Amino acid sequence: MSEIAVPEGLWDTSKTPEGIVGNWFYRDGSMVEAGAKVAELMVEKTVFDITAPAAGELHILVPKDGVVRPGTLIGRIDGA
Amino acid sequence: MPSKSNRILTMSHAIAEGIANEMRTDSSVFVMGEDIAAYGGIFGATTGLLAEFGEQRIRDTPISETAFIGAGVGAAMAGMRPIVELMFVDFFGVCMDAIYNLAAKNIYFSGGNCKVPLVIMTATGGGYSDAGQHSQTLHATFAHMPGLKVAVPSNAYDAKGLMISAIRDDSPVLYMFHKGLQGLAWMASPEKAATEVPDDAYAIPLGEAKVARPGKDATIVTLSMMVHRSMEAAEQLAKDGIDVEVVDLRTLVPLDRATVFKSVAKTGRLIVVDEDYSSFGVTAEIITSVVERDPTVLKAKPRRLAFPDIPIPYSRPMEQFALPNAEKITEAVRETVKKGH
Repeated sequence: MSEIAVPEGLWDTSKTPEGIVGNWFYRDGSMVEAGAKVAELMVEKTVFDITAPAAGELHILVPKDGVVRPGTLIGRIDGA
Repeated sequence: MPSKSNRILTMSHAIAEGIANEMRTDSSVFVMGEDIAAYGGIFGATTGLLAEFGEQRIRDTPISETAFIGAGVGAAMAGMRPIVELMFVDFFGVCMDAIYNLAAKNIYFSGGNCKVPLVIMTATGGGYSDAGQHSQTLHATFAHMPGLKVAVPSNAYDAKGLMISAIRDDSPVLYMFHKGLQGLAWMASPEKAATEVPDDAYAIPLGEAKVARPGKDATIVTLSMMVHRSMEAAEQLAKDGIDVEVVDLRTLVPLDRATVFKSVAKTGRLIVVDEDYSSFGVTAEIITSVVERDPTVLKAKPRRLAFPDIPIPYSRPMEQFALPNAEKITEAVRETVKKGH
């Protein structure tokens, strides 16, 4: 199992503490490849891509529009 | 191996991917407009293109639609396949000479010796309190002018396929996407606007409507955002045993009158829904298409639902009052079906 977490230091949290999950690009339970762009985060009007750390079955833990901070676990991937 | 077609793309990403597919195989394709490069387009339609293709082919322009839409027409006539973004369709005024008098007419004026393979991509639509100069759809303004083709996608799958057809077409194409369908994190979007999208290039021919929902009791003909409002209405009506067919036009020019007529001939009832202004518009054109071919297919008088003939209000309650919505569509279908019995 691999965790999908918001990377530390992705944006300057002293100015903007929180962002949101802008979109998931796969449905919950989908099979994804390692490196596939699975989600995008929106912080102010800046978009950050989130990629799959491993291949397997995607489980979404923070849905679209959910609030995130660096370190937040937004999903996990169960190995194929 | 997972199939890549299980990817759900928003409409904005699907448009950008369609452009990227064509740019990889055709070096004459390039994009220009305001904030389309570093920013990726204010409605996301060119996201990621600068990083892949560089600033020669993904070109930010000054705020002068007169200059860069005109330059697009010239580049198209000189052998390129430009995509120019008019940030809001509402800003057409300052570049209308380039659109109406140059892009639309130069193929004809040159006796067919010049092609104008130009795509003008533009954002349409309201519903988010952006007032009268940032909320119009203006479908009819462009569909009215001979020489322009007009594509109006309602979902990500169609958006990519129609963009690829628009780029490959030798005539100028107005490609009109609704802001509220783009799947932007800062603007609500219907869930079904995002769809599974194959990552390969595929073309959806201009001029083919799609039956978005089959039904037998009444036909709703619609496009863009109103496809989603009409589908909501159809689901509501299904609970009461009224089975509605929804036709998504997908392109206004060429107009797929055959699919519209076939549907109305089957159901006998026609409701046309458009977010553009009511008078002299898409709704009248669709109704006329049916009536002048054979009015006897209608079991009830046709109905239209569109934006009333007023500038679009800024105030949220006033704008929402004026916009067509699922409730109004449901009521119009009920009345049409009732009167037909």
